[in-house]
Amino acid sequence: MKQDMTIREALNKAHHQVMAADNSVIVIGEDIVGGTGFAGEERGGVFGVTAGLATKFGTGRVIDTPISETAFVGMAVGAAMTGLKPIVEVMFCDFMGVCFDQLMNQAAKARFLSGDRVLMPLVIRTTMGAGDSSGAVHSQSLHAMLASIPGLTVVCPSTPADAAGLLKSALKHPDPVLMFEHKGLYDYTGDVADSLPAVPIGQGRLVLEGSDVTVVAVSAMLHRCETVALGLASKGISVELIDPRTIRPIDSKLILSSLSKTGRLVVIDEGPEFGGFADSVIALAASEGFAYLKAAPVKITPPQTPTPYGRALEKAWLPDENKIATTLTEMMTVA
Amino acid sequence: MQQLEQLYTQAAFIRAFELAIGRAADAGHVPGLAHLCCGAELAEVAICAELCGSTDQVTGSHRSHGLALAMGADPIAVAAEIFGRSGGLSDGRGGTQHLIAPEVGFLTSNGIVGAQVPLAAGAALTAKTKDSGGVGVAFFGDGAANQGAVFETMNLAVALKLPMLFILENNGVGQTTASGYATGNTDLLARAAAFGLKTYKMDGYNGVNCINVASEAVAVARMGAAVFIEAVVPRLSGHYHGETGVSPSESERDPLQILAASLPSGVVEAFKKNADDGAETAIAAALAMPEARQ
Repeated sequence: MKQDMTIREALNKAHHQVMAADNSVIVIGEDIVGGTGFAGEERGGVFGVTAGLATKFGTGRVIDTPISETAFVGMAVGAAMTGLKPIVEVMFCDFMGVCFDQLMNQAAKARFLSGDRVLMPLVIRTTMGAGDSSGAVHSQSLHAMLASIPGLTVVCPSTPADAAGLLKSALKHPDPVLMFEHKGLYDYTGDVADSLPAVPIGQGRLVLEGSDVTVVAVSAMLHRCETVALGLASKGISVELIDPRTIRPIDSKLILSSLSKTGRLVVIDEGPEFGGFADSVIALAASEGFAYLKAAPVKITPPQTPTPYGRALEKAWLPDENKIATTLTEMMTVA
Repeated sequence: MQQLEQLYTQAAFIRAFELAIGRAADAGHVPGLAHLCCGAELAEVAICAELCGSTDQVTGSHRSHGLALAMGADPIAVAAEIFGRSGGLSDGRGGTQHLIAPEVGFLTSNGIVGAQVPLAAGAALTAKTKDSGGVGVAFFGDGAANQGAVFETMNLAVALKLPMLFILENNGVGQTTASGYATGNTDLLARAAAFGLKTYKMDGYNGVNCINVASEAVAVARMGAAVFIEAVVPRLSGHYHGETGVSPSESERDPLQILAASLPSGVVEAFKKNADDGAETAIAAALAMPEARQ
């Protein structure tokens, strides 16, 4: 059986499933129960993903924390090293700066430094993305920065099925997994099988088959590209659209195989223009797919500035459908 | 007396081990810098003697050779790790600042000052969640005492009622900077008490005091409380072996010698010889292991 649900609902259901299946799964974060210390029922978390968990599983396993990212992320790392399977919510990925040492130097390195004796069944869920005037420090997309650290695995689901399925795989992964959920996609609805099947880490998804240009697009940008690609089909441009789903390890086989067919590559990401995910995919194409290329690969990212706040400013900062359509159309004029 | 002899035996072994590591470093066998724990042995051994390797987990700083040994890690494997050898705790991947032996209750040491403290809170959370009766224990120095990670974790441990011990080993110096200079209010017990921790002062020069404080403090933590011990210890071996920046003064007392003076002399000599021989044997065995290559 399949049913339509939002990413928020799919993640919530997945949390309920994994917590019911395994007593060692705990959930930690700020305001994830909500209302702790006040009279009344739990409020269900800032994004609603953790709603009902404390009522069902108790506040011993669903733990509201002080606003102390270093301490509670570090505590989760230590808990993962000693037999628990923590799912941590870091409310915005911008807050990674506050707990970065525990991620970069502790979580990322524990398995390696232990000679694989210590596994890290640790999932850190966080949000990414601009578009709702949250301002410069609640809108960033830092998935590539985290992915650049050896020992960390990073996923960016764009659909309800992938969000739930990647959460399940992440808990079984030997390394810490950071899951970046786009703030603007929590209400995005899609088909999900009732069992919420696991989605393998490291495997991208072919969203649209095409022959003219390979487009790799992350998270919310994927949906923006899908709209554009369907529009371009009527103009005779056939787009092959790939959702990488996992940022690191990247599904290079899927991307290179597509590139061998199309010879053209566009990467669209909300991350930084310099040193970001788009650069990594283009480097992959240049070093391992050079012979396929008919045109120079192109990236579409926001400009290398902090995210502006005002509605018009932010709209201009984010890649939009026009920019994507124009870039893809121009690319077809080359060779 | 038996407890004191036991304390001396273990402390003397750790001292002999550290001095042998120092000699091996002089001979070029240590790839990195060796941060020796000479001077802190009594406090560390007394606390670890109250811990159980199957339920409790200890995290330590860069200066953790003695803690790993006190929790029962194999001295040959510890030495081999310090030498970067295959057969080391992590087959040479981690080295002196990353000793990892959770199978005996030594979760990890750390190269980032203070970063081991939140990790011990995680061990405490696991013990609490699984109702194992265990505790998480973080050892850190007076340098780390000024790190935000430590402040945050003290608050978190109290707020979440974690069975956890914070062990501040105050040797008066962080690398080459005096703690009196670096610490705004040098009353670190008052600081911990302000966070809501139950506090104890431990005289690291006094074996009897170490044993008594350790026994009471660990028992209180086991009941589900966050506990803080300030152990006053000397740093007899520099920030790292061979460092000449800040040396202990000549009048600095050696806790091990003070304890030895309180024990029958014939007994002490036998214990010391055993310790020296045991350490030499472990170091030699580790040096016979091949360099880790993959």
